[in-house]
Amino acid sequence: MSDVVNEGICQTGAPQTAAVEVRDLEVTFHRRGRDLPVLKGVSLRIAAGEAYGLVGESGCGKTTLALAVLRYLAANGTVDRGEMFVDGRDVSTLSEEELRKWRGEAVAMVYQDPATALSPAMRIGDQVAEVFRFHQGLNKTEARERAREALRKVALPDATLRRYPFELSGGQQQRVVIAMALAADPRLLVLDEPTTGLDATVEAEILDLIEELRGRINAAILLITHNLGLVARLCERVGVLYAGRLVEEGPAREIFTDPRHPYTMGLLRCVPRFGMNKSDAALQTISGTLPALGEALQGCVYSARCPMVQPVCIRREPDLHAWPGDGGQWAGAAAEAAPADPAAYSPHHASLVGEGLRHARCYFSAQVPEMPLTSPVLAGTKAAGPEGGGDVLEVDTVRRSFRDGRKKLVAVHDVSLKINHGETFGLVGESGSGKTTLAKCITGLIAADSGDISFEGKRLKPTAGRRSQAALRAIQMVFQNPDSTLNPAWSTRSILTRAVRKLGGVSGSAARAKVDELAADVRVEPRFLLQKPADLSGGQKQRIAIARAFAGDPTMVVCDEPASALDVSVQASILNLLVELQANESVSYIFISHDLAVVRYLSDRIGVMYLAELIEVGSAEEVFNPPHHPYTEALLSSIPTLDFDDPHQRIPLRGTMPSLSEPPSGCRFHTRCHRILGDICVEQEPPIQEAVTGHTYKCHIPPDELLQLQTATEPIAPIEV
Amino acid sequence: MAEPVAAGRTAAEIQANAAGALERRRQRRYLVRALMRSPTFMIGTSIVVFWILMALFSTSFMQGPFDVNPMYTLQAPSSAHWLGTDDLGRDVLARTLAGARSVLIVAPLATLLALLMGTTIGLITGFYRGITDEVIMRLVDVLLALPVVITSILILSLLGRSTAIVIVVIGVLFTPLVARTVRSAVLREREHEYVMASRLRGERPWFVMAGEILPNITAPIIVEGTVRLGYAVFAAATLSFLGFGLQPPSPDWGLTIASERLFVQLAWWTVIFPAIALASLVVGVNLITDGLGRVFSK
Repeated sequence: MSDVVNEGICQTGAPQTAAVEVRDLEVTFHRRGRDLPVLKGVSLRIAAGEAYGLVGESGCGKTTLALAVLRYLAANGTVDRGEMFVDGRDVSTLSEEELRKWRGEAVAMVYQDPATALSPAMRIGDQVAEVFRFHQGLNKTEARERAREALRKVALPDATLRRYPFELSGGQQQRVVIAMALAADPRLLVLDEPTTGLDATVEAEILDLIEELRGRINAAILLITHNLGLVARLCERVGVLYAGRLVEEGPAREIFTDPRHPYTMGLLRCVPRFGMNKSDAALQTISGTLPALGEALQGCVYSARCPMVQPVCIRREPDLHAWPGDGGQWAGAAAEAAPADPAAYSPHHASLVGEGLRHARCYFSAQVPEMPLTSPVLAGTKAAGPEGGGDVLEVDTVRRSFRDGRKKLVAVHDVSLKINHGETFGLVGESGSGKTTLAKCITGLIAADSGDISFEGKRLKPTAGRRSQAALRAIQMVFQNPDSTLNPAWSTRSILTRAVRKLGGVSGSAARAKVDELAADVRVEPRFLLQKPADLSGGQKQRIAIARAFAGDPTMVVCDEPASALDVSVQASILNLLVELQANESVSYIFISHDLAVVRYLSDRIGVMYLAELIEVGSAEEVFNPPHHPYTEALLSSIPTLDFDDPHQRIPLRGTMPSLSEPPSGCRFHTRCHRILGDICVEQEPPIQEAVTGHTYKCHIPPDELLQLQTATEPIAPIEV
Repeated sequence: MAEPVAAGRTAAEIQANAAGALERRRQRRYLVRALMRSPTFMIGTSIVVFWILMALFSTSFMQGPFDVNPMYTLQAPSSAHWLGTDDLGRDVLARTLAGARSVLIVAPLATLLALLMGTTIGLITGFYRGITDEVIMRLVDVLLALPVVITSILILSLLGRSTAIVIVVIGVLFTPLVARTVRSAVLREREHEYVMASRLRGERPWFVMAGEILPNITAPIIVEGTVRLGYAVFAAATLSFLGFGLQPPSPDWGLTIASERLFVQLAWWTVIFPAIALASLVVGVNLITDGLGRVFSK
């Protein structure tokens, strides 16, 4: 059977160029007396100079793999089986002393949060120089010189040497971390979610840097991420990990354009393609959840969630078949014919993967392109856009500032906007642009310093505590963090019951019925109502939080990044839920997100915020197509997409976000604008220009000129997919 | 099926309830097992439980702590009197064991009072912040700056000497410390989104404090309580040593140490054993604190 094939790969497909080789790795965590297998026979190989992307939902074992290779596993994790070579050196045989040396010289890791990777009390120059002094034994002045070079390599000015980490932006901090990682000229560079906490434009900047560095360093790069677009942009090859198993592997382009494992297909379908809108189709989801660590799995690890599962998949786990080749139909048929003898199957016999080849752990790889859709395609069934009935909410020159020591930071600067009945208003902008502050002013969590907020024609009191119960009921909020949005001390049912009582004004058996109805609306099974939040998954918590917001049949719900903390498959189902609830309850949303594709998918109209100002408002279609504000243009260009043939160019923004306490004169964006006209931008505040009715932006460049500029420099990218 | 639905619960819900309860019981069992495995906690608990049992029952199997025997005053430890006798011929062992009673009444009650008041103040100041916080916390600072023993003596001299007043004085003087701990826990907790959600629901402030925040800060409050208990034992003993607590012939440790210290050169056992008893109780409580703190912080 396929054993033969895999052995064949072992022998022939192992060129000596592999900088990193992992063979049949098995890692188990030991927790509270239980053995929880995390990685089950994972093999992969990365050549020097190659970038390898490892994708999968959180909890699949991506980071564990990297930590195992670096021998950084926590004390309760053990490598039970398998070999790991970095540059031909067996990592598992290194002694403590050798390990320390090896970690300093041969490998480097960049973590997700740059702020925690840097010592807050040390100047950047000293921190970077320390790497050279410690690992290369250079003296102080030499190390300092090398540190300067290292920072130049990541495009940081020399002045950075004297800065402390807190004086740098997130993107600059991550550059420093990368500079330190590259200091020793490592053979293996692990990037663990290197841009996850960063804004889109900063992310683009870091990606450019990594892409550029790749050509100069000859290290194997292991990129761990949940963001498929990132992998598509940076990596030659990609491995898809699910429940500790490598389920598919191959060249990134082929995997993403022609996936041959249902999980890969599912992941790709979950992500809203850029330009997709809720009226086109519901997002595809992956049913069920990732199996818990240590859960006994029968047959294929993915069988419980697979829409094309067959009896054979549960009987016997498929091997990592080559594709195209012997896999697919033939192996499926063979396995079907074989007796279901678990003893005949050893989980370790087939895992070595060669280069340039594709592999998928599925009997039915041939049928994956025709994988049935999980969510019905609801094209056209929804009211595509706002109903008539005029404004629900009117925000008029709202301003809100905070004190930071003696400085005054204006977080929302004279923002005015109107939101129609039943529409979704998307609010985008980088962190610190004032999105959340504006949302909190609207809901009354914080009071605006000046300006009016009117709801259905009536002025709202500034804070929630002073608003009437009816006003509170009408404007609710869904928060970002699923782990803190529900009171951990309460059961889910009491959380909802309280909300129904306070907002819906019902009690007793009516409240009970309403809670059951809400739970059904958000697709939470009744059995979870008696659990405490700690027993729920992130998606379920967020569903309960949504149900809580809908307890009193609100007119408007402010959603502040409601799905950002969730995995893509869960995110898709939450977004679908929001769309469905909107169609049924005719509620308006203010939807805040940094994910532009998601905002584009959900929103009827979009507002773009930059440095506390609302700089552009218009329909989703208009805002995301030229002519639009240069900032919006740059923001859009920075998203990594899965579209390999996408010709669009990234527009790098210069410098960093200016401080809110000293906003730039004239146009606030002039310090970073790539279409700056000259003194007029520095000296005069730009007028609000109207491109078409309802689409306004704040810039000196008139719409027709802007359209010309923006269509000339980049060939018109196909927006509708 | 109709019956359980009418009762408001479906079979599935009941099942899940059982599963949830099982999970919580598992968690609790884990917590208990972690505590049992902690030697500090177990030793501390053994010591404290020993003294509680002695406080309750020592008089029923020992010679009475007040039984005077003028024939045998200041006897060294012997087989008849294991820890010797005091100046009135009373059995030191009996008195030391019985002496736990007064301290185990005063200290826990004072601690409870401090927890009650401190938690209330901490909740209010942490929740409202702003000017309320400023004013109350400055008052708390003033209270904190007062030396416990000197202030207690002053108050007790003014108000008279009774166990109740001792409890209240220690309780009040310990309140600021509890308030600070609770306040910082509240400050952390109030930033959570569920607190914002309850504000958007129009909940009254007291409900947010007592219903939403309080259940989530029990761990620091419990740890703070055990810390205060250790100090309260010490404070109670100090006050009775200075003569502001119980009066003779009570076998209270502090009082005994004070009254017998005249004979310490002559009969060290009359002083040393109550002192060891006192120290062991304080250490026992502190060991419990350590064990709890370590398990909770995991």
